[in-house]
Amino acid sequence: MAHTETKTTETAAAGFQPRIVAFVCNWCTYAGADLAGTSRMQYPPNVRIVKLPCTGRIDPLFILKAFEGGADAVLVSGCHPGDCHYTSGNYHARRRWSIFRRLLDLTGIDERRLFFSWVSAAEGAKFADLIRDVTAKVAAIGSFEPANPARRRPWK
Amino acid sequence: MEMIATLRSDAAKLLTEGRAKLVIGYQARGTRRVPAFVSDPAKAGVLVYDDQCKQNLAVYLRKPEVRVKGPVAIIAPPAVMRSLMVLASETQLAEATVLAVGKDVYHGVLDLAGVAALLKEKYADLAPPKELFDALAKLNAMSPDERARFWTDQFAKCTRCYACRAACPGCYCLRCIVERNVPQWVSSAAAQHGNYEWHVIRAFHQAGRCTLCGAC
Repeated sequence: MAHTETKTTETAAAGFQPRIVAFVCNWCTYAGADLAGTSRMQYPPNVRIVKLPCTGRIDPLFILKAFEGGADAVLVSGCHPGDCHYTSGNYHARRRWSIFRRLLDLTGIDERRLFFSWVSAAEGAKFADLIRDVTAKVAAIGSFEPANPARRRPWK
Repeated sequence: MEMIATLRSDAAKLLTEGRAKLVIGYQARGTRRVPAFVSDPAKAGVLVYDDQCKQNLAVYLRKPEVRVKGPVAIIAPPAVMRSLMVLASETQLAEATVLAVGKDVYHGVLDLAGVAALLKEKYADLAPPKELFDALAKLNAMSPDERARFWTDQFAKCTRCYACRAACPGCYCLRCIVERNVPQWVSSAAAQHGNYEWHVIRAFHQAGRCTLCGAC
């Protein structure tokens, strides 16, 4: 939360490396990411993983905070529907996300910067594919507009 | 005028019979209409209702200082009735004595079930103003950057007085997210970023619950 500066020099042309924040659940996607790692699968290092007990734990404020602190895109990923460790957490997350995504889009955060996915603990390859896909998509649209009100800027 | 007279006599009757100890309604102050809290049947004469009564009185029903003076009866136009339905569905309101009013019409004293039936029967087709949809269509046609600029301009007016929160019957959390400061989730400075966060989060918290009463 201490990020008070935003890098304005990055462009798609000058080797832009997207910063992606992934909010994942402990039981499925984090285990999937772990499997991708232990299986020595390569995926871009652009993703910063934040592990939470469940996607139902993700307060929409987390996503706002990620954009505030410099993320170019946000990914939310959890257990497949019906597989939630806490029975219904991912359903709550899905309901929240479908509204919040629309709301963020309406306030000027491009919907293409918001990703949602289901990755189970057995899907290491899917996780690696997902990160490759997300990174490529975000790299194509470029860095998140620093003048966007969602970005925090130094106090003047 | 007959409608107002009936409304006043019904309010006085509720107070005399003890069905309510406090009637929340509107009264005239100059050209404005402000909330009236009537506990004395003799003073029911101050109550008015007309087009200028814009405030959503349902906001008072959740306030502890009002609740201790209960049981409460409330004068409710359709917008307020819809807020009562939201509060009831969120188990914030177990029962209510409602003096239901509409444009130039008085529907009598109702309970929550009566209000639900009335809304269904008479006010089911109440749509938000057309300008709202026009504005939304305009916004939808913009690019993300244009939208960001549009909202930056809109939020620049905000002084973070939280009157929107105070006026909203849906904002009843005892501890609002902006007051949670370890960590400081939402910047409380009336600057671009904090205003953005506050309005986005408030809009999100109202998603599917907002009755479009316009009080905020």
